[in-house]
Amino acid sequence: MTRSDIWADVAPLLRGVERPGRYAGSEWGAHRPPRDGFAFCMVYPDTYELGQANQAVRILVNRVNATPGMVAERAYLPAADMADAMRDANVPLFSLENTTPLREFDCIGITLPHELCATNVLEVLSLAGVAVASEDRTEDDPIIIGGGPCASNPEPYVRAFDAILIGEGEESVPEVLAAIKEGRAQGQERAQILKALAQIEGTYVPALHDPNAEPAPHVRKRVFEGFAIADPWEPMVVPFVECVHDRLNIEVLRGCSRGCRFCQAGMIYRPVRERPADAIISAVERGVAETGYEEVSLTSLSTTDHSQIADILKRLNARFAGTGVRVSIPSQRLDAFGVSMADAVAGQKRGGLTFAPEAGTQRLRDVINKNVTEEDLMEAVKAAMGAGWQRMKLYFMIGLPTETDEDVAQIGHLADKAFELMRTLTPPEARGRLKMTVAVNVFVPKAHTPFQWDGQITPEEARRRVGLIRHAVRAKAVRVDYHEPKTSLLEAVMSRGGREVALLVEEAWKRGARFDAWTEHFSEDAWHEAARALGLDMEAVAHRRLDVADPLPWDHIDSGVTKSFLVRERSRALAGQTTEDCTFSACSACGICAPEGPRIVLQEERGIHG
Amino acid sequence: MADPRTFRLRVRYAKTGRLAMLSHLEVTHALERIVRRSGLPFALSQGFSPHMKLAFGPALPVGVGGSEEVFDVTLVSYVAAEKALVSLQEAAPPDLWPEHAAYVEPASAAASVAFTVSTYEVELDRALRQLIAPDQVTVVRKGKKKVLQVADFLVGEPVWDGRCVRFTLRSGEAGSLRADAFARECLKLSAQGCEPFQIRRFMRTALA
Repeated sequence: MTRSDIWADVAPLLRGVERPGRYAGSEWGAHRPPRDGFAFCMVYPDTYELGQANQAVRILVNRVNATPGMVAERAYLPAADMADAMRDANVPLFSLENTTPLREFDCIGITLPHELCATNVLEVLSLAGVAVASEDRTEDDPIIIGGGPCASNPEPYVRAFDAILIGEGEESVPEVLAAIKEGRAQGQERAQILKALAQIEGTYVPALHDPNAEPAPHVRKRVFEGFAIADPWEPMVVPFVECVHDRLNIEVLRGCSRGCRFCQAGMIYRPVRERPADAIISAVERGVAETGYEEVSLTSLSTTDHSQIADILKRLNARFAGTGVRVSIPSQRLDAFGVSMADAVAGQKRGGLTFAPEAGTQRLRDVINKNVTEEDLMEAVKAAMGAGWQRMKLYFMIGLPTETDEDVAQIGHLADKAFELMRTLTPPEARGRLKMTVAVNVFVPKAHTPFQWDGQITPEEARRRVGLIRHAVRAKAVRVDYHEPKTSLLEAVMSRGGREVALLVEEAWKRGARFDAWTEHFSEDAWHEAARALGLDMEAVAHRRLDVADPLPWDHIDSGVTKSFLVRERSRALAGQTTEDCTFSACSACGICAPEGPRIVLQEERGIHG
Repeated sequence: MADPRTFRLRVRYAKTGRLAMLSHLEVTHALERIVRRSGLPFALSQGFSPHMKLAFGPALPVGVGGSEEVFDVTLVSYVAAEKALVSLQEAAPPDLWPEHAAYVEPASAAASVAFTVSTYEVELDRALRQLIAPDQVTVVRKGKKKVLQVADFLVGEPVWDGRCVRFTLRSGEAGSLRADAFARECLKLSAQGCEPFQIRRFMRTALA
């Protein structure tokens, strides 16, 4: 059966909404597949501007289209004005390529990029005309699958999804789709198809899992072992409307094993896999030629850790000299080498330089395993001043486990000290231009990290601690930046809640919650009313401190990093002991590497750079 | 001053179909990327952050297409115009289609100032029985209301034929009157209490 194209119904709505170009599709690099055969729609559960550059959408659409017998299209959540106009006109959510209603696809995949998109998932399903709860779906409905970083604790999402894919989707998404296709071809019922999906490694089918049963089944995270040898040129869509990360993104390495104990990405994307310099350079050349982008970003969790990064930047700068093409790296390592790499790509522009010491004292930095010292920071400041920067931004967290008032006050003192150094290294007449921002965020405990057992501090306590920082800062040019984040509590609830939170999400959405990550849309009341109606204590979920012996809602998910490693890291944290990055020194036995499975791939030995 | 060592290519293109929904800024970004993908030897400005030397014809509002749109691109070496056109076409989406390219004299006015008279065609969901043009159009610019006298901009009289309305606007010292704002007022007055008209297609059909 041929799928429909409802452009004629969509077009009239576009004259009345903001930035209609984001609903028009037809972008450069987007392919319009045939409207028959097995089809998958990949959805980013937020607006086009925020989701267009998402790597999961880009990669998975390419993978599925490269698999014989299936095609993939994309969809995004329309902005509130368009969503309302669609509801008024009875126009269902549609894909961009063929303007096909989502419910006509065989399978819909929704990525979960951050903790504040849960109600958007329901908004997507509701606009698509698909039942928001898995249990209410009929045989004719598409199979709804999810995945992405937030799937590492899938329980808050279990009501919406028929299956949740844990880990990297390059191989598992085509496998899951092939199984759905096969089941449909044989006329199987949903329940049978879902049973077959549960047999595919890394696939979690909530309906088949009783959270109270012991022992919990282990769903093992998928790792794309071919990452390092795969072509770094990932064909991409070039949008017409302005989007975040609107540039040529080339993924140069995956994973980071620096081992910061609060960081979920650093745990769930292991092991570290680097791509070779030659392949990266030809991917950039090809990408620039095919997309027309003038900005290239070499993306990863820690690009400056790539063993060949100095060589890669040198060669790219030489290759693109005089063409107006700029190269950038997403974040700087906090030391002189990090600054020299930032310097290598900065060209004549010297905006702000950003570093993340995360904590104010060496004691607390050792607890969180942020292996940087005050000396590293001062060396970085010196290098930055020498290279002509005048603005710095330092990121810190408050509410970290074991934090004392002394640790908090030291954030202010450290910023003062760094700023004083900036002043002394700058001629008096130029000192007026110097600026420093101290950005403060509240620690959110995350599943699969050594701090998963620790609770979040209350909003009142966060306010008090920010007050301590403001009080400690002397220099007038140092600005303390803290936005009262009403959403931190919700982030913690989504990050460490159990199955009961899935019902909370549904109730909050029914009370109008959507676009929770948007300050202007976030409805705190909807969430609190929903929690009251269910008799659920959100504060308790976020703030409770658990014992390492307590069962965790995500115990059935195996991230590859063992629980015993997390327990060990937690006790080392409490003892103030650091653990080194295994890509620079000895193995820390986190459990991810296996003789027949994933392993670290480095192109050269990683060394301490000068 | 134009650099005598450079070559200015004027490209005529069409903004049609779904891409009529793009804003002027979005179109300019898209054209810049088309030029980059085409591999033509484009010139860069000197200075702090070098950018491509492009000049664009007058802006079109969101939702309005154009069949005779223009932009200029400066090249640092000569490429035969027909060859340049093919390179641009290979790098362009069908709804933003370069149709013609020719070099212009170094001393001639840039695309951004050379064109002041625009003719538009609006196709509606049903035939009109009358067409009434307003004397004034109130627009909001940066939060401030401004009343524009239509006579300062309108060239001749708007005409209609069945479901199609055609009018010509001139920009000048008084600034410019947005074609979509003018059309909206016209259609409101012309509907006179009946069901509001729906716009099916809105195009600029000539630039002079």
